[in-house]
Amino acid sequence: MAARDEVRLAVPATPEFLRLARVTASGIASRLGFTIDEVEDLRLAIDELCFVLVGNKDRDGSVELHYRIDRDQLDVEGVGRFDDDETDPMLTAFSRQILGALLDDYDVYRNHGGHSCFRLTKRRHTEPEP
Amino acid sequence: MTFDADQREDLRRKFAEYAETRSPATRDHLVEAHLGLAEYLARRFSNRGEPLDDLVQVASVGLLKAVDRFDPERGVEFSTYATHTIVGELKRHFRDKGWAVRAPRRMQELYLRLGKIVSSLSQELGRSPTIPELASEAQVSEEEVLEALEAGQAYRFASLDAPSPGDDDGDSMSSHLGEEDAGMIDAEHRVALSPLLAQLPQREQTILHLRFFEGMTQSEIAGRLGISQMHVSRLLARSLAQLRDAAEST
Repeated sequence: MAARDEVRLAVPATPEFLRLARVTASGIASRLGFTIDEVEDLRLAIDELCFVLVGNKDRDGSVELHYRIDRDQLDVEGVGRFDDDETDPMLTAFSRQILGALLDDYDVYRNHGGHSCFRLTKRRHTEPEP
Repeated sequence: MTFDADQREDLRRKFAEYAETRSPATRDHLVEAHLGLAEYLARRFSNRGEPLDDLVQVASVGLLKAVDRFDPERGVEFSTYATHTIVGELKRHFRDKGWAVRAPRRMQELYLRLGKIVSSLSQELGRSPTIPELASEAQVSEEEVLEALEAGQAYRFASLDAPSPGDDDGDSMSSHLGEEDAGMIDAEHRVALSPLLAQLPQREQTILHLRFFEGMTQSEIAGRLGISQMHVSRLLARSLAQLRDAAEST
C-alpha cells in the first residue's frame, strides 16, 4: 500500500452496520502487517469509539469513516451525521483509560461542520518480516 | 408448496370463513395447512447457526400472525402475504440478537484452530504473529482469518445481573486467580472509574486490570494466566460490551 492511501466507508448509525467499521479496520491493519495483538486492540478501540458516537442502540443518521494509511500507521476518523446531534461526544474516565491502553492517540470532538467525531491513531510496533 | 385446485378452493373458503367468524378451529386448520411453508422458510435461514427447531418456532409465530392479519378481500395470495410476514419474523429474530448472531460452524472451527496456532506461532516467533502469518500457517486466506476473528467476537450479551457461565475453551483459570488477586492494588481507583466493573466476574476483572491498568498486551496476559490469547481477546471484548450495555441502561 502506498503512503497516504485512503479508504472511506459510510454506514447507517446502528451497531449492526458499525460492525463493518471494525471489519474494515482489521482488514487494513492486517495488510499493514499489524500483529494479532495490535489488530485486536484496534478492534476494541473502534467498538469503544463508535459507542461514544452512537450508543448501543440505533441512532438516526449515519457514520462516515475515513481510514488513512501511512506505511506503519493507520488513522481512522469517524464523522457522525446524525439527524439530532445536540450533545457533544464525551468520554468517561474509564473510556479514556481503555483507549489510552489500546491506541497511540485518540480524540473525540465536534468538527467545524458541527458533527460529532472521533479520530484514532494506531501504529505498528513490530517490523514486518523481510 | 403447492395445493391442487380443490385444496386451494377449500382454503379460500376457510379464509373467508375465518375472516367472518374468527373461529379457533378454522384458524388451526389454516395454520396447519401452511406449516410446510413456515418450515421451508425457516430452513432458508438455517445456515446462520441457529437450531432449525427454534427457527421453525419463530416462523410458525410469523405464520400465526399472517393467518390473523390476512384479508382475503385484498386479492393477494395467502402464500405471498404469509411469506412476507414469516420472513419478517425470522429477520427480526436475528436482528434482535444484534451483532450476536452465531457464526457458521466452519468459522467457529477455524476460530478454535487459530487459537492454537496463535499460541504456537507466538512461541516460535517470540512475538505476536501477524494475520498473513496466521493465514499461511492455517492454510486459509487472510480474509478467512479475519472472518474467524469476527466470529469469535460474536459475543452474546449476558446481563451483568446473571452470573456468566463457564466459557473456558478448555482453559482453566481458577488456579491462576489467587495470585493475581493479591496484585490487584488500585481496586478503589478502578471502582471509582467504573462502578460497574465490580459486577463483572473475578477473572474478567483481572484481565481488564492487566490490559488497561497494567498495560500488558493480550499475549502477555495469556502467558501470565496460562490461557490462549484469543480467549483473552474474547473475554475483553465481551466484558467491555457488557459494561457499555450496563452503562447505557443506568
